[in-house]
Amino acid sequence: MAGLLVLNFCIIHLAPGDPAIALGGEHGDAAYYASLRSRFGLDRPLPEQLLTYVSNVLHGDLGTSFVHGRSVTRVIAERVPATLLLVGTALVLSSVAGVALGILAAGFRRRSVGVTLNVAALLGYATPLFWLGQIALLAPAVGTGLFPVQGMTDARHPQTGLAHLADVLHHLVLPAVVLAINELALTMRLVRTGLLEALGADYVRAARAKGLPEALVVRHALRNVMLPVLTVIGSRAGMFLSGAVLVEVVFAWPGLGRLLLSSLLSRDYPVLLGMFLIMSVGVVLANLITDLTYARLDPRIHYQ
Amino acid sequence: MRRRRLTVLALLLSAVITLLVGVPARAQDQPVRGGTIVVAIVADPGHLNPAITTSGATHAASELIYNGLLGRDERGDPVPELAESWQVEQGGAVYRFRLRDGVKWHDGKPFTAADVKFTFEEVLLKFHARTRASMGSLLAAVEAPDDRTVIFRFKQPYAPLLYQLEATEAPIIARHLYQGSDPQTNPANGNPIGTGPFEFVSYTKGTEIRLARNPAYFKPGLPYPDALVMRIIPDLSVQVLALENGEADFLWELPGPLLSRIKSDTRFQTARTGYHPGGSNCIMTMSFNLERPILKEVRVRQAIAHALDRQAFLSQILFGEGKVATAPISSEISWAHAAGLALPRSDRAEAERLLEGVGWKKEGEGPRTARGVPGVPDGTRLSIDFLHFPAFAKYGELVRQQLGTVGISVVLRPLEPAVFAPTVFKDRNFDSNVISYCNGPDPEIGVRRMYHSSQIGPAPFTNAAAYRNPRVDALFDDASRTVEREKRSRLYRQIQEIVVQDVPYYWLVETVNTRAWTARCSGFRAWTGLFAEGAFCRR
Repeated sequence: MAGLLVLNFCIIHLAPGDPAIALGGEHGDAAYYASLRSRFGLDRPLPEQLLTYVSNVLHGDLGTSFVHGRSVTRVIAERVPATLLLVGTALVLSSVAGVALGILAAGFRRRSVGVTLNVAALLGYATPLFWLGQIALLAPAVGTGLFPVQGMTDARHPQTGLAHLADVLHHLVLPAVVLAINELALTMRLVRTGLLEALGADYVRAARAKGLPEALVVRHALRNVMLPVLTVIGSRAGMFLSGAVLVEVVFAWPGLGRLLLSSLLSRDYPVLLGMFLIMSVGVVLANLITDLTYARLDPRIHYQ
Repeated sequence: MRRRRLTVLALLLSAVITLLVGVPARAQDQPVRGGTIVVAIVADPGHLNPAITTSGATHAASELIYNGLLGRDERGDPVPELAESWQVEQGGAVYRFRLRDGVKWHDGKPFTAADVKFTFEEVLLKFHARTRASMGSLLAAVEAPDDRTVIFRFKQPYAPLLYQLEATEAPIIARHLYQGSDPQTNPANGNPIGTGPFEFVSYTKGTEIRLARNPAYFKPGLPYPDALVMRIIPDLSVQVLALENGEADFLWELPGPLLSRIKSDTRFQTARTGYHPGGSNCIMTMSFNLERPILKEVRVRQAIAHALDRQAFLSQILFGEGKVATAPISSEISWAHAAGLALPRSDRAEAERLLEGVGWKKEGEGPRTARGVPGVPDGTRLSIDFLHFPAFAKYGELVRQQLGTVGISVVLRPLEPAVFAPTVFKDRNFDSNVISYCNGPDPEIGVRRMYHSSQIGPAPFTNAAAYRNPRVDALFDDASRTVEREKRSRLYRQIQEIVVQDVPYYWLVETVNTRAWTARCSGFRAWTGLFAEGAFCRR
């Protein structure tokens, strides 16, 4: 943990740039920028700043944002729900649809459905998110008007209760689909390949010889296929977060990704450090959850 | 008989057409009350106190909540706002303002001269970088002898004051909320109270700022809509899509590639302006580091200027929106802009002749080689670096391509703004760069900083060239003390004639901002921060 804090601190302070200029804008005199640096403690030696930072974090204080003038914990906490909703939806969507389509592609591998799904998965995996985002935006803008192209709610008609929930879900569709596409394609290809391999294994041949229905056979095989699939999904939690930065910027989704980008441009060190910490913890947690899920899927794995 | 019938029919038809066309035209001019206007802004402002920053993000989002002592009309001239009249005394060393009666803050407390005195002395002169830099050392006192009179006393005649009192340069904030506190951390920065046409309702970070009509606004009948929402949409292309999708009504700026699409669409209206809350009347300017041996020689700088085809910058980068600069001061400040100056024209042969004359010889392919260039070892290749913001990458590409044709190699160094500023102004680690120098409403604010020798580093966006000319310094000092516009105009003309000869910079193109809004709405004033004060939308 301490190593992580020091590493994050060093990375950020090694990057060139001056928060005082980003904050103060142009036209200031030297004394003005000096006063800004002094206000934020940026005029103190770097080791002293590092010690203060580590000590504050260990006491649960992530500092105060240069730009927002409020506690980093609050600034980040305000953005967490939006990102959790977006990433969570995309994760569920990519996992569930990825597995389902993977089974379909394996089952119909020699038919046009299977081939089409396979080609679509290849394209989906190879397409950059920002491009996909723009295309997804263009479609509703040039005519259909089915989905809003920005934000999390309707600016003109703010809603409450269930209507608010429906409004948020309506705004969620495009960004969640765009964020999910890459991972969905990857999951589908993994499931398809794994399933094709497993269905040729001896235990499947034995099960079929015993007269088990095909659906049950696929279920048995799928259980074994899911282990590597889960590993990949878990290990790509970080990818989801980095994808969220792009998707949130394109769709003006008010989450952590956009906060990260704006903090980077304004050199808001406290917010950046806080976000690095939270993202690191998030990735570790995702891996932990993956490990725990192994035990449920594979009876041979026990944690003591 | 038949002809008469036809004539009557034609008259009737034309009457019907006139009615049909005329009725909507009149309805269009008639303000409509109520509704919500959605304005797209690019960045989260962080806070909503425009008196403590020059940040364009904060000013774009918050100026409708406040007022300045004066406003500005479409030509940029001062008009009454919180002050209803003013007098200039002692040759421009004293300004006396009479404030409007009955103006109230959004919390119901009365606005008085004490608010103005407090705002200038305790906030603007300490935290608003432009106001502090321009008048901070010259202002002797701000006096409030009674509730409706404010007197500014300067140590010497100070000409530009009347152009620095709008909400962008000097928004007035409430003394009763800020007195005795640190203005930078006061909670009112996130829950602002002003005198402006709209009251603050809520600020959802990263999403939007909601404002409501100020029913007690001192301009009777204004504003028209019930609510105004500043929606944060960072990507300009997405802003355009939101406009097309009906999710936004007003955009501060249009991205170049989409200009023609929106302009040719009858569903939208556009207007061009040199004003921007982050800086007005800007010229994209190439700076030469005069401390570098290669660029010390004026003929090399002239050669670079001759090698550049500025029309290509206008058409290829700005898509024709703007104009090729014809003087060092923006044509938007018409009284100070020197017409008819002979800036180096695009002439590749002249550029090559000048370089040969200095000793930069063409020896085979690639960049030229020094042969007897003063201060440069023989054999040195003619290569300069060129720093630019990532957003200005196209300027770099054109400069590299055009200078390459006369044997000057250009190495591009894209740097983020937060890195660019210290590299150029503090470390002075560059040969050339491109900067959007904004002249502001008066040359004293945005032009002096580029040329006066007292403005050389480390403060950002000052004299990047490190240009030193005692004659130019004296003329600027003279101009800042002169109030009569004709005299100032003559002084600025002399300055421009000198710097065009010295070429410490090369003035590429004047940029403009194109605002866009849905044709359902009218009354937007593109040239001011109070842009939606008189706006309304039909449903």
